[in-house]
Amino acid sequence: MTDVVQITVRSDADIILVRQQARMLAKELGFSSSDLTLIATALSELARNIVEYARQGEIVLSQIRQGSRRGITIIARDRGPGIADIERAMLDGYSTGKGLGLGLPGAKRLMDEFEITSSLGQGTTVKATKWAR
Amino acid sequence: MAEQTNQDSTKSLMEEIGITDREIANRCAFLELGEKDIKELLGIDPVAEAYADPVIEDFYKHLLNFEETRVFFQDRQVLERVKRAQKQYFARLTRGNYDKDYIEDRLKIGAVHERIGLPVKAYLGMYNFYLRNVAARLFDEYKNDREKALRAFLSLLKVVFLDMGLAIDTYINRREQLIGKQQEAMRELPTPVLRVRERLLILPVVGVLESYRAHQLTEQLLESIGTTRAKAAIVDITGVPVVDSRVANHLLQTVSAARLMGATVILTGLSSQIAQALVAIGVDLSQVKTTVDLQSGLEEAERLLGYRLVPAGDKARSDQLHP
Repeated sequence: MTDVVQITVRSDADIILVRQQARMLAKELGFSSSDLTLIATALSELARNIVEYARQGEIVLSQIRQGSRRGITIIARDRGPGIADIERAMLDGYSTGKGLGLGLPGAKRLMDEFEITSSLGQGTTVKATKWAR
Repeated sequence: MAEQTNQDSTKSLMEEIGITDREIANRCAFLELGEKDIKELLGIDPVAEAYADPVIEDFYKHLLNFEETRVFFQDRQVLERVKRAQKQYFARLTRGNYDKDYIEDRLKIGAVHERIGLPVKAYLGMYNFYLRNVAARLFDEYKNDREKALRAFLSLLKVVFLDMGLAIDTYINRREQLIGKQQEAMRELPTPVLRVRERLLILPVVGVLESYRAHQLTEQLLESIGTTRAKAAIVDITGVPVVDSRVANHLLQTVSAARLMGATVILTGLSSQIAQALVAIGVDLSQVKTTVDLQSGLEEAERLLGYRLVPAGDKARSDQLHP
C-alpha cells in the first residue's frame, strides 16, 4: 500500500509546502525526529535545485511499506536543462550555480538510496529513499 | 463574442491559470470529447432550445428552495438578469466550437461565481440538478430512440465536466492568489535586530529561512552592525526548522561579511537534528562560532566584549574585585 503526494515546485513557498508534507508522511511511518530533519533537508536541496536550474518541476512523495519495512521515497523531476556531467555534479563542491555545490551529494548522504538520471535538454529525475530505523 | 472589451482581462485569466491550446487539447482528449460528441450536441441543440425556458424555471425554483443559494438572488431584478445569463450559458453547451473563446468565457463565469462567494458544493449541486433535469427531458423527447438520448446525454456530460474543471480551476486560482498575497504580507514581518548591550546585537530568527528572508536577515544585520558599531552579534536560529546547504551558505557569507566590518557573529540554537543534517550534507561551519543555546552564546559574546556578570548580592566581593 502506498500513499502518494504530488506537488508542483516553482518557488520557495512550494519548497516549504513540500517539506511540511514530507514531515507529515514520514511521521506517520514512525521516523525519528532527527530522521525527519534529514529528510526535510534532503528534500530542500532537491527542491531548490529544481527552482534554481529548471524553474519548475514536481516532487512526488510516497510512503512505502514492504513487509515490516517502512520508508519514504522522494521523486524530484523536472524538464529543465539537464545535467551535462552527472559524475561531476555528484562531487562535493562542484556547482554551475553560486551555491556550495553540496546540494546533490549532500542529499545523497542524507538518504539511504539515491538514483539520478538526467539528459541534456530533457531534464533531471532524482529518486531517493529513506528507510525508518 | 458579445463583450469584446472584456477579452483582454479574461485572456490574462487563462494565462494566469496556465491554460494553453495544448492544455485545452489535453483536457478534451482526457474527457474523450471529440467530433462525434460535437455532432451529437449540435444535433440536440434545437431540442435544448425548446426546453431552455422550463429548465431555467425549474433550476431557479430549486435554488430558491435553499437558504444557502437563495441569498444570492435577493433582488428580483438581479434574479431576472441572472436567469437570462444562465439560459445563455446552458444554451452554449450544445453549440459546438469548444475552443479558446469558449474556455475564456467559462473561466470568466467561474471567476464570477468565486467572487460572489458561491460555494463549490453549490455550484456542483446546481449543475447536477441541471443534468438530471435535462436527462429527463432528453429521454422524454427521444422516447423512441433511447440510444440517441443516451449518446447525446453522455456527450453533454463531457462538456459539462470540461466546464466544471475550468470553474474549479478559477476557484483554486483565486485561493492561490490570496495565499500569495498573504505570503507577501508575512515577508514584510521584520526580523528584528535587538541591541542588548553596548556593541552587542541579537537577531532571533523564527520560522522558515527561505532565500528572501535569508537575504533580508543579512542586510539588516550588516546595516545594524554599521549603525551601532557592534562588535558582536548573536544570530539565534532556535526557531528555524531546516537549514539546508543554501541557507548554511548564506549564513557563512553573512558571518564573513560581518567579520570584515569588525564584528564577530555567534550562531546559537543549532538543534542536534540540524547539526546532524549539516554534517551529513558536508557543510563546514568550523569557521563560525557556534553555541548550543542562546544563553551560552550571550556568555561567549560578553566574554568577547570584556563584560563580566556578577550577582548583585555579592556587593562586597565585587567591590573587592574592582577596588
